[in-house]
Order: sequence, then structure tokens, then C-alpha cells
Amino acid sequence: MSRIAWRNLWRNPRRTALALAAIGLSVALVLVYDGMLRWESDWLLDTITGPMLGHVQVHAPEWRRTRSMDRILPGVSSTVQGLRRDPEIAGANPRVWAPALAAVGEEGFAVVVLGLDIEEESRLARLLNGVSVPLTAHRVLMGRQLAEQMSVQPGAEIALVGQGVDGSLANDLYTVAALIETPVDLVNRLAVVMPLADAQSLFAMSDEAHEIVIYARDPARAGALAARLNGSPAIGGAEALDWHTLAPAMVDLIKLVEIAWVFVLVLVLVAAAAGVANTMLMATFERTHELGMLLALGTGPSRIVRMILLESLALGLTGALLGTALGGALVAWAHETGIDYATLTGGGPSQLAVFGMNWSLRIYPRLAWIDIARAVVAVLVTSVVASAWPATRAARLQPARALKD
Amino acid sequence: MAWIASRYAVRSVGRNLRRTALSVVGIAVGCVLALFMESLNRGRSELFARVGASSGIGHLRVVPAGWRARRDPRLRLADWQADVAAARSLSGVAVVTARARAQVLLAMGTHVVPVELAGVDPDVEPRTFRYVQHMQQGRYLKTGDAGGLVIGQTIAERLSAGVDDDVVATAVGPDGQIQSAMLRIVGIVTTGSEDADAGVCQVARPDLERLTGLPGAGEVTLVLDEFRHAEAIRGELASRVSRGDEVLTLAEVAPEIQGHFEQDAASARFVSAIILLIVLLGVASAQLAAVLERRREFAVLSALGMSGARMVRLVVQEALLLGVAGALVALAVGLPIIWRFAHVGLDFRRYMGTFAFQGVLLDPVIYGDFGPWIVSYVTLVAIGATLAASLYPAWYASRTDPAVALRVAQ
Amino acid sequence: MARICRKAGVLVLMLAAFGASGLRSAAQVKPPDVEALLARLDDLYRSKSSIARIDIHVTTPRSTRSLRLKAWTRGEDEALIVIEAPPREEGTATLRVGPNLWNYLPRIARTIRVPPSMMLGSWMGTDFTNDDLVKESSLRKDFNSRIDRRSDAPPGWWIRLDVKPGVVGRWARIDILVSDEELPVEERHFDRKGRLARTMVFDETKTLGGRRLPVHLTLTPTDTAGQRTELRYLDVQFNAPIPDDTFSLLRLERGR
Repeated sequence: MSRIAWRNLWRNPRRTALALAAIGLSVALVLVYDGMLRWESDWLLDTITGPMLGHVQVHAPEWRRTRSMDRILPGVSSTVQGLRRDPEIAGANPRVWAPALAAVGEEGFAVVVLGLDIEEESRLARLLNGVSVPLTAHRVLMGRQLAEQMSVQPGAEIALVGQGVDGSLANDLYTVAALIETPVDLVNRLAVVMPLADAQSLFAMSDEAHEIVIYARDPARAGALAARLNGSPAIGGAEALDWHTLAPAMVDLIKLVEIAWVFVLVLVLVAAAAGVANTMLMATFERTHELGMLLALGTGPSRIVRMILLESLALGLTGALLGTALGGALVAWAHETGIDYATLTGGGPSQLAVFGMNWSLRIYPRLAWIDIARAVVAVLVTSVVASAWPATRAARLQPARALKD
Repeated sequence: MAWIASRYAVRSVGRNLRRTALSVVGIAVGCVLALFMESLNRGRSELFARVGASSGIGHLRVVPAGWRARRDPRLRLADWQADVAAARSLSGVAVVTARARAQVLLAMGTHVVPVELAGVDPDVEPRTFRYVQHMQQGRYLKTGDAGGLVIGQTIAERLSAGVDDDVVATAVGPDGQIQSAMLRIVGIVTTGSEDADAGVCQVARPDLERLTGLPGAGEVTLVLDEFRHAEAIRGELASRVSRGDEVLTLAEVAPEIQGHFEQDAASARFVSAIILLIVLLGVASAQLAAVLERRREFAVLSALGMSGARMVRLVVQEALLLGVAGALVALAVGLPIIWRFAHVGLDFRRYMGTFAFQGVLLDPVIYGDFGPWIVSYVTLVAIGATLAASLYPAWYASRTDPAVALRVAQ
Repeated sequence: MARICRKAGVLVLMLAAFGASGLRSAAQVKPPDVEALLARLDDLYRSKSSIARIDIHVTTPRSTRSLRLKAWTRGEDEALIVIEAPPREEGTATLRVGPNLWNYLPRIARTIRVPPSMMLGSWMGTDFTNDDLVKESSLRKDFNSRIDRRSDAPPGWWIRLDVKPGVVGRWARIDILVSDEELPVEERHFDRKGRLARTMVFDETKTLGGRRLPVHLTLTPTDTAGQRTELRYLDVQFNAPIPDDTFSLLRLERGR
């Protein structure tokens, strides 16, 4: 029966080709949208969490409220090592945050000294992404806008004065190795960045830090990870919070826009299904004459319906497979090379400032299996259902009437 | 012959009602979906406009020279009253308010909290800053009521103070001298977000002026009727404000929000293209399916002497008829849907996840856009799609070999 | 930055401590004339100029810290404070002239001016708050006073001070225990909600610089467990002759 159905399809190659094209292209387009959608949420997540926030942050319990220098995380190097061994954690970096006074001449400027694991934070999509200046002996990085305010050039010597964790006066001289422009506005406007060890020695800290930034292997599980770590011995009973809790202000807006994107996915699926349905309906109704002939020749109505359904199924499957291949290939290619947004949308932005961060705009769409499954199923079901109605209708007709069509 | 062709077109359309109905419905459904998408896209800018209007940032802001780079709250406008008057004189401006800010230390006993204190106009402020629209405890500031202070819950807790308590506020004056004043907490705001709470700290502007000794206002914030006119109004305003003062847009005051808006708008354009393609595809394939079955009919016509060109015109005219019909149906169905979308909006509260502070900054509702653009959009899409869809069939029809018509089998 | 404010605060607390001392007078059993007593307490804060050496000891739940410093003051506007110990910070100096504040850091041989924005912000987390650095309140002028009751151990009088309406200050009420020598023994500061916010204890009465006064002060906030600040005056000269060029940047840098 199915062989007959398959042969039937190719008896009218044009109609079949048309239906295949309709189904295939619809699936491909849906997959392209899906690819975009996934990129959009990946990108958003990366922009928000990548450089500064991370997926989970660890602090001493009172630190966030008071930002007091002495609210430290003790034994931070072993804590970080332990965290890095955790299977759910992709990365963990300690940080020192210290308010200080910076001066190149006599005039003091309020700054924030940031002590970082320079190597880790220079990786892709992290805070110092792309910065590759070696910071040996008392060399520091300065945010570009801060440097402009202080009229500082690379090579200048600055004094940093602050309060050590024991209350003592921390002060020393440093050379500005380079000016940095990071994705984080706060850093560009206020920060002096130095290696963690240097910050620790400046502020009379031993193996201590103020914050640990954690990147989860699965960002979607950040909340669960934070809940698991919070107050646990793995972090010495400190506080662990996920990025949603830490940065709620924009979360509303982002979430809302994300939901709109998902809503549009529904629209896209419906549009694709409608197109396929329309095509299948039209094609099947147009076969009334042919079906009438079959009826006249003695084929039972139920056989006719079955035949058509099988044809539609075969059509749907083939079309879906073709579409998946096409859509998948498009997304894979785009993922490899990246699409420059500006050229795609004809002059849109190629660099964006989001949440005080600057981010270059290249699209890297990607797909998950569920996207493919969803599109294929939607289109398959639609094409079968859409041909069922006209098929049953035709099968119930008088052959003579059908032949007249 | 042309007249006959068009009558034929009409009759052909009317003759096979089912096919026609299917076509029209197909076109209409596609159009409504594309319409919804476009309305959503246009509505997105409404979302960002709401952020500007509700977060206190405003759509436009007059700031002192040098503020943009340094963001120093101690900077003051050259002539704030003139700037306010200039802003109020423009059309399309919904709300204008002046503010002054300063770094201040609040103290209750041994509890000390550094805050950024905003001196506001109590009559107007709630219309620009969502957080102070509802006081969880106490009341909001009133003009003429000196020494009143409104703070967020987080600050109140750190001060260990409540409504009707007196706190000492200390600021650094213009010559560097330290000045203090007593303030009474009249209201406490609880937004549900610790961070948001920590950012709420307001007194009436004259009180801030007295405390800091810095005269006037540091910003004049405007909320516009229509976000889209921001650039135009900015230009006009910039020419009217006092010399030295600058006019910034939401984008420049809060680049993070603007960045997201732009990225989203750009993506939305791309997605619109996808949906239109899908609609086009659906319409085209359905039309094509219809045409493919009419080989015999076209062959007969061709045998009867209709030229290829005329056949093309025939197909195109049929397509136009269908397109127009499809557009009309789409409008009939789509207009009420979009109207509802624009006025009631899509409420996404349920999908906002498990955050404790849903709707801190915004109501989680998206409103579509409703306007005269709908008619032209639907018409263009419907007719465009059907015409584009008719290209291949038209070409196909024109090349029909009359002999085909006379063959029995397909 | 707490460093700077601590020094400035020390200055005022030091003045406050001196102010709290009374005249050398014989022990009295009759209740003192409160108005006169307060006037003396207020006035004795003031000395046109002074040179003093002080030990400070700060205890927090997480750490302790000790400093020895030498301070020159003139009027209310000029002060120079130099750290003598611990060795790590020796030679660090702060100069205040009017609204301007500078730090000299010997280790890096630099003088840095503190911007106004940091004068407030840096005080957070320290024991000294803005009130301690503003021109201090006058007990006599800002408060209504009366004798509250007699104390037997230690022998003295509890004086009750309630802030007058319209006064800008953190304390709604202060209870002072004055010994029969008319020297302060204990001060209790109540915040604007009437809660006991902090306690100052004065002891080790000695004669320094020609005045009889308690040289050891302990300031304990009520709300924060394990937090305490102590001052001890090692020596003092009142109305000392101070060279005019003392309060200058040059002097700051050149050393004393």
C-alpha cells in the first residue's frame, strides 16, 4: 500500500515537488528562526553574565550590604580549587573589591581597585576579554574613562591609597600598563585592575577575597546551583546567589522580551503550518477528478482515504527531512562563520552597549534537537490532517460528480 | 479581449468556490499572522518607552555640561528654571520634572548609611518614577512640607528606623565644608527588590538645596507622549535650553537599556522577514497547487486562441482578485484582534518565572501597536504575496501546449 | 579612607574628651549648678591650640588595631595628625585646613588631597561618623538639662540632657554621670528613637597639661557586638605655642 502511495506521489512530479518545497522550506525557515531565538537568549545570557556577573556569586554574608573591606571570604584559594572540581561548575574566579583613592599628582580621585585572576578573566567573553598585557611587578590596568578623567596615559605612575582589611593604611605606587575598555561600564569609569595577589598584598589580605564568580556548565541551572552552594561547607558557609537575584533591575525587561520571542515562535509555527495546510488542502481538492476516476474504477472509499493519508505522510516526512537538512545546514554554516548583524539588517548596529557593556554583534545561531523535532512534528501533523478533510470528502462523493470536476 | 480576460478571471474565481475560498482563507490567515508580528514589533518600542517613563530616567533629559562624561551628582544646570520652561513650552511632552542629587550620609544613632539623595518635585515625581507611586508605609512627599524624607525598605532597615523617625543627613557643601540637617521619614517604599529599594531616597528639591548649599537642579527630565518623537523633540529642546546645558536621550542616559532595545529591534526586523517569507511561501504554494490542476483549462484557452501574454494577464488578474479578497478578510478578522492586542495587551505575568520581584520595573504586559498603518500593511502583504505567488503559475500558464489539453490522462 | 576620617575624628573626640573634664575642684555632695557645669564642660573642650600624643585601640569582631599618634590643633579649623606607631605606618600624616584635607604617605613620598566626595563616603564602616567631625554640639546650648539623681557607686550625679527642638544632631538624649570632682565618668547617648545607641566610659583620671581629667575613653556602640574604640591620652599641652607654619603642606611633607 505504501509503495503505491509513494509511486502515486511521483506520478505527478510537479505537484509533489511543489508540496515538498512548501513543506521543506517552511521547516527550514522555522529552524532558522529557532536558531536565531536560541542565539538571542544565549547572547543575552552571555552579555549579562559573561564579563561581570557570572552565573552565581559567592560573598561573605554582609558584604553586599555594606561593601565593608573586612567582610572577606577566608581560605579562598582552596575554596576556588574545590569549586573548580565540581562537575556542575565550568569556572570559578576570586575577586578583590576595594574602594581607594588614586592620584597621579596631588589631586585624589575616588576609584575601585579590582584584584582579579588576570589569566582566567582574560578569556573569551570574560571581563578582560582580549586584553593581553603582562602585569608583572606593580603594573595595573585602568579603565579608559577613568584615565581620561585623571589625564593618565599608559606608563604613568599613580599612587593608590586605601584601607586594608585590618584597618591599616594601604598605599603604594603603580605603573599604568594599559587602558582598558571592557564590556562593563562601571569598570571603564571607575576601576584600576591588578592581579589578585597584588591586591591582596596591598590591602593586607592573606588568602582572602571578597567575591567568587562562578560559571555553571548549564547556565539554565544557575538558580539550582546557587541554592545548593548557599551556606554550604564547599564555600565555607558563605552566601551564594544566582544572577537573577543579583541583577533584578533588567531582568523584567529581558524576560518580557524573551517571552515575546517565544510567542513569535508560536506565530512562526502557525504560519508555517497554515502554509502547509493550505497547500495540502488545495492539492488534494484539486485531485477530485483523479480520485473520482479511482472511485469509478472500483477503489473503495476507505482505501482512497488511506492512500491519500499515506501519501501525505510520505510527503510530510520527506519534506520535513529536506527542510531539516536545509535549515540545519543554514544554521550550521551561520554558526561557523557568524553573520554580521549590520550587513544582514542593512545598516543596523555592529556594536552594542547593553547593560553598560559593549558587545560586538555577530550572530551565531544554533539549534537543539527539540527545535527540529518540534518543527517536523508540527509540519507532519499539519500536512496529514490537512489532507484528511478533502480526502474523506472526495471519497464520499459520487464518482460521476467527481469526474465532472 | 482584455475585458473578456478579466470577466473570465472573475467567473473563474467564482466558479470554483472551494478553491477560491481556500485561497482567500490561506491568504487571510497568512496576513493576520504577519500583521500580528508587525504589531508586536512596533509594540516593542512601547515597552522601552515605558521603561523610560516608569524608571525615572525619562525619555529626554537636560543635563549640565560635563555630566555625560563624569556623572557627578554635584553638577548643576546653568539655569534650571529656564530649562523647565523651555521643556514645558514644547508640544508632545507629557511630564517635565526637575531634580537635584547629592551624595549624603544618613544617620540614626550609630547606624550610618551613605545614599544618593534625590531632591524632587513631589507633585510630579510619581508620574515619572514608578517606585514612589505606592507607599507601603507612611505617605509620599508633599510640596510645602519641609524636611520630609522617603526611603526604600533596605535603607530603613540599615538605619534601624521607621516612619516618623528623625535622621541626620550630612552632605559636603560647595566649598567642601560639611553640613547637616534633620529629616523626618514620612514614607517607606518596598519594591520587593533589595537593589531597587536601596535606590529610593528622596526629599523635596528645596530641602536638598538647603542641605547641600548647591543651588538649583542638576537635571530636568521629560516624559514624552510618543517615544518615537524623542529625536525631533530633542533637537528643538536643545536649541531652547540655557547655554552650556545639554539634552540627552534615554539612550545616552541609560545606554544599557538602549542597547537592548536596539538589538531587539534589529532582531525583530530579521524575524519579520522570516514570517513574511513563510507567509509568501504558503500563499505561493497553495496558488501553485491550484494552478497546476488547471492545465487542461489553460490548454483549452490556449487552443481557443488566447495568447501567452493574455494568459499571464488572466492569471495575474485572478491573483489580484484573490489578493484583494484575502486582504479584506484579513482586515475583518485582524482589526478586532489587533485592537484588543493594543488595548488589553498580552499579559505574561504567568510566564515571568519564579522571581520574587515580578513586575518591579514594568507591568509584564506587551501592547501591540494599532494605527492606520495596518490597512496599508495588510493590503501590501496580501497583494504582494499573491502577485509574487502568481509569477510561476502565470509563466507556466503561458507556456501551455494546447495539445496537452486533449490528452486524456494527466 | 577610614584612615583619614579616623584621624580627624580622633581630633574631635580628643577635644570632646578634654571638654568633658571639669575644673579641679574639691568633691562636693551638694548637687552642682548644672548650667555652670555644662558651660565648663563645653568650654573646657576648647583650647586655642594644643599638642597631644594619643593611643587609639579599635576592636571589631574580626580584628583589633592600635595606633599612636601626635596631634597639633589650632581653633576648630586646623589640625595636623602624624602617626608614630605601628612602624608600618609611622610618618603617615593628615593635614586639615578649613574644608581641605590632605594625606601624606611616607612610604611612597606622596601628598594626596582627599576629594570632597570621599569625605563622607569613606566614613562608612568606621567608628567615627560625620557628627564627630562636624563642629561638635554644645551641651549647654543644644540641650535642656537637669539633675536626674544621685549616684552612690561611683559617687556622683546623673545629669539628664534632652535635645532642644530644632537642633541638628543624632542624640535625642544624653545621660552624663559626673563625679563629685565634676569630671565625667560615663556618657550614654540615646538616638532619636530614644534607644541607647552608645556608651562612653571615662576613667584613669590624671593631671595632664595642667588640667585634671580622665585620660582613658572607651566608646562602645550598643547594637554591634564586639565593637569598641578606646583612646588614651599620653600627654597634652593646652594653649601651646604652635609655630604658624605647622599647618602647611610643606611641613606635612618635610616631617616634624
